[in-house]
Amino acid sequence: MVAKPADDAGERSRRSMTATLSHGALAVGSLVLAFLIWQFLSTVLFNPFLIPPPLEVIRTAIPMLMSGEILDDVAISMSRVVVGFVTGSLAGIFTGVLLGRIRLLHDLFDPIIELLRYLSPTAMIPIAVIWFGIGELSKYFLIFWGTFFIVVINTTAGVWRTPIARQRAAECLGATKLQIFVLVIIPSAVPYIVTGMRVAMASSFMSIIPAEILAADSGIGYLLQKSSMLLQTNRIFVALLTICVLGFIVDRIFRFFVDRVLARYMSFVSQT
Amino acid sequence: MLRVSNVRKVFESARGTYIALDGVSLTVSDGEFLCLLGPSGCGKSTLLNILAGFEPVTAGSVMSGDIPISGAGRERVMFFQDAGSALLPWLTVEENVRFGLRVRKIPKAGWQPIIDKYLRMTGLDTHRTKFPSELSGGMRQRLQISRALAVEPEVLLMDEPFGALDAMTRRYMHSILLDIWQRTGKTIVFVTHDIAEAISLADRIGVMSFGPRSVITKLIDIDLPRPRDLTNPKVAVLYNEIETLLAPDLARVAEHS
Repeated sequence: MVAKPADDAGERSRRSMTATLSHGALAVGSLVLAFLIWQFLSTVLFNPFLIPPPLEVIRTAIPMLMSGEILDDVAISMSRVVVGFVTGSLAGIFTGVLLGRIRLLHDLFDPIIELLRYLSPTAMIPIAVIWFGIGELSKYFLIFWGTFFIVVINTTAGVWRTPIARQRAAECLGATKLQIFVLVIIPSAVPYIVTGMRVAMASSFMSIIPAEILAADSGIGYLLQKSSMLLQTNRIFVALLTICVLGFIVDRIFRFFVDRVLARYMSFVSQT
Repeated sequence: MLRVSNVRKVFESARGTYIALDGVSLTVSDGEFLCLLGPSGCGKSTLLNILAGFEPVTAGSVMSGDIPISGAGRERVMFFQDAGSALLPWLTVEENVRFGLRVRKIPKAGWQPIIDKYLRMTGLDTHRTKFPSELSGGMRQRLQISRALAVEPEVLLMDEPFGALDAMTRRYMHSILLDIWQRTGKTIVFVTHDIAEAISLADRIGVMSFGPRSVITKLIDIDLPRPRDLTNPKVAVLYNEIETLLAPDLARVAEHS
């Protein structure tokens, strides 16, 4: 029997749903596999004290969740990441735009940035503690530090690479210098800025933990540090899992925001 | 009217001095369709950039009417080969046209009829809400045409606009462009390296020599009725004449590539 076009469309959507389902099934399978390997490692290959089995970790996690202990740590770590990331991104975008636009500033500051960006936030922890103490400010500073350079470099590149034809076309249509800057160059740089911010977000997550391990009395890093001192491997694993889940969720939120708000700026048109 | 007198253009760079144009003179009358024809590297795009006001001349003068050209002007609009770069990819078809009206400070009330008129003229009125990335190459070029026409310039400066399109689409674009030209009476300066394209479009062809020190070697009137039939024997004569003019340059291009 020959399929009618309507059936064809139905068939297609069914097929794409099957694809989504099988994709989801694979993701679940991958997690199950990870738990099985984890269980195997902790019980058969290694000592369950060194690698606490998954069920043990979940058993430890539940009271930590119920009492709100872990949530407090999550909240404090997240607030540090957010403050440092937002201020670092804003400062980075502002500086990057200036450097991408004004040749003299670029030539003047690029060498400094090229050197300073190799100082990772972790390398800056000791001096940050001396400058800002072990309170919130030192953590804000460290996250800011990690975010700033990544965003600056990407923003500068984005502004730099705005096609000359696009600027000239706008100029021909009658746009002023300011209009070209605001309506053409900045939007053209958005994909680069967003990419920089996403990388910086990941790096913020990487650097908040060592910062809290070495210089804090709260946060997930501090929980790791404290549990390590007390040889509570269960609690260490709860903290590590929390970091995984948190990073994943934040990246999804970021992507969702980009898809919703910035989608139209993210498409590159290929050269005809 | 565009008047180019004795223009010399020198590029200074770290690698040295390059004399792109040396003593180029040309007059384009109102409503004329002029093609600048020559091999790659003959300075035709440089000349077009000078006419657009993007590049200053080293010596000589360029005038638009009675006013010396010193920057982009309201009466001249440039049209680029790479539409993907020239268009604003985050704006839809309609918004791209609106962008020009907005920066030209045309009163908002007048926008919609202008947008409708020029999108219809290029056959894009059914694709208003699409983004440039969703358009074919030919449609992107038509959008560039609509956007340029919407701000009602007198002169269209076109830099190999259809060079990246396939042969069939290019022929279709030729017919659209000629139709618009005949209906609106714009002055068009059209850069190309394709002899057949120049013959099928132009009132007059300015043949340019290979650089450095490019000049316009000959201006040829194409006195044939449109639409032009490329199998017409007169076209073959013209084609051969231009080919002969370009022959020494083509040999030099071969040496350089």
